[in-house]
Amino acid sequence: MSAPAIRVEGVSKRFVLSGRGSRTLKSAAMDLVRFRGRGAAREFWALRDIAFEVSAGETLGIIGANGAGKSTLLSLLAGTRPPTTGRITTRGTISSLLELGAGFHPELTGRENVYLAGAVMGIPRRAMRERFDAIVAFAGIDQFIDQPVKHYSSGMYVRLGFAVAVEVNPDILLIDEVLAVGDIAFQRKCIEKMDEFRRRGKTMLIISHDLETIQSISDRILLLAGGRLTGLGKPETVVEQYRTTVRAEQAAAMRRDWGSGEVTISGVTVRNAKGAATDTFQQGDTIHVEIAFDAHQRVEDPVFGFAVSNQAGVKLYGNNTQIEGHHVATIDGKGSVRLALGPNTLGPGHYMLSFSTHSADHKVNFHRIDNGFPIVIEGDRPFEGCYMPVRWGA
Amino acid sequence: MFSALQDVVRHRELLWILVGRNLKIRYKNSALGFFWSLLAPLFMIGIYTVFLKLMKFSMNLPMLVTGIIAWQFAAMSLGDSLHAIVGNANLVTKSAFPRIILPLSMVLANVVNFLLSCIVLIVYLVVERADLSHAAWFPVVLIVHVSLVTGVALLFSTANVFFRDTEHLVSMILLAWFFLTPVIYPDALVLENPAFPAAVQALFFANPMTGVITGYRMALLGWAGPGTAYLLLSVVASLSILLLGLFVFLCCQDRFGDEL
Repeated sequence: MSAPAIRVEGVSKRFVLSGRGSRTLKSAAMDLVRFRGRGAAREFWALRDIAFEVSAGETLGIIGANGAGKSTLLSLLAGTRPPTTGRITTRGTISSLLELGAGFHPELTGRENVYLAGAVMGIPRRAMRERFDAIVAFAGIDQFIDQPVKHYSSGMYVRLGFAVAVEVNPDILLIDEVLAVGDIAFQRKCIEKMDEFRRRGKTMLIISHDLETIQSISDRILLLAGGRLTGLGKPETVVEQYRTTVRAEQAAAMRRDWGSGEVTISGVTVRNAKGAATDTFQQGDTIHVEIAFDAHQRVEDPVFGFAVSNQAGVKLYGNNTQIEGHHVATIDGKGSVRLALGPNTLGPGHYMLSFSTHSADHKVNFHRIDNGFPIVIEGDRPFEGCYMPVRWGA
Repeated sequence: MFSALQDVVRHRELLWILVGRNLKIRYKNSALGFFWSLLAPLFMIGIYTVFLKLMKFSMNLPMLVTGIIAWQFAAMSLGDSLHAIVGNANLVTKSAFPRIILPLSMVLANVVNFLLSCIVLIVYLVVERADLSHAAWFPVVLIVHVSLVTGVALLFSTANVFFRDTEHLVSMILLAWFFLTPVIYPDALVLENPAFPAAVQALFFANPMTGVITGYRMALLGWAGPGTAYLLLSVVASLSILLLGLFVFLCCQDRFGDEL
């Protein structure tokens, strides 16, 4: 393995949020008079204790929710902001696309802006002249290259920005959410360019919300959540981890939890047939659930129930121990009941499980957790809802 | 500080391109473009000549015009420098390059302008038969002048990132500075005024602009006023301000990205 192109060691980044947009002399003077320093401002840690390495020639995807710190991380790597703590070492020239066409001046022509952008990245004019035709060809704006860029359409602007950044041939390319802009043809060109870049053994760091694309072009993926590094590894694994978290968060938003409290459901574990905890099943798999409870007093003949709802929270199927004739003996203290649900007949998609425990006469609801547990059903028969045997005829 | 200079040398192409951009944008959409750099001082000299004659002010016109053209360079550079960082926020937050290039490019664009004005000025002085025998000093004075303006420009451009009030403050500072400097009056007005003690006269030249403008008059008008003795004081003050500006700018530049 060659020496790392990027090494990030214990990096944190703190932002100071001042109440107003920017400071004025008056507020500075007031702070001084009140001996507060900048104490009036609030702190915000955009990144906390980030450490990772990127090998030369590697493509690293960066994913995470909005506000997870992805763009901040890239701006630290690009060197436009200093880290508050920690150290960043990079080897080789860096070209950054933190925003397409960021350095363009509206009054200058496309040609002048290309040279300006090249100079910002430290590329000699001679080298830029050699690449100029390739840049214009890639951007596909040859007839407008001598017009001021203020007359460009946003698509042309973005294409020229991307063309400059990739054609300056850096060792390390940092790309922030480029795939989200431009039409499909341009997106395809970008991806081809990135592939070519990769084949030439360049290092790339890419931020994207397009999980399929980033999974296919990255060698590894880094997952950020709330400014912390929560995952780093094989693309499929980390993307799946991210999807699971997102589903859990979505479910948490729909979760309802109430009851009289004589018995509480203390935990629910969803497993596959092999006994591994998961939330993803194939059509026809059996879903194994263990419902752990805690009876705070002696309760006779409790009933345990469950329901399957679709993503919108509509109940598709519900059943309980009483209906199925499974008699749960008197409970007191901790215990658990098991449920094997399946082979499932659900259509592919996202579902949520709800669980409840109540008295045999249904008058007292001990504890009920609605929509608390997301599951995913995968399969190639995209019918809706729950399957029932079907016979079509003429 | 030395490595910062090396950085600038490495990015010198960016510096030239930004200087070009600043000049180009100043004359965008104007039919005469660059000629305005020549026309503006020409008109100024013409207007002063006509009005001073009409009003019957007895004033040394070459002295006045030299002072005003030299002052204009400083005033325009410092006005531009306020926006060197703040006005290029998109560049500063999105790309890494030596930030000092931004204020430097503002000052250098004004140097180009100033030199064009000086061509007009020198032609005028030749017509007026001024004593240009000391003109070899001109480049020396220019270097001190540019050093001084650069130092102050670095301070202003930094201050404006953190305190936007700087913009309003600077116009006051420039107005006061204009009258503290012998722009529209000769240095003798202060130096030969018995009301001012020697300490005040030294302070007068501790204002480095005084030395710069006196220097230009010495070089271009053969001026041998009483101030020549104090010129070194202004040189030292100019270089000190340049060093201070560099120091403050380099210390603060890491925080620009966060503040913008």
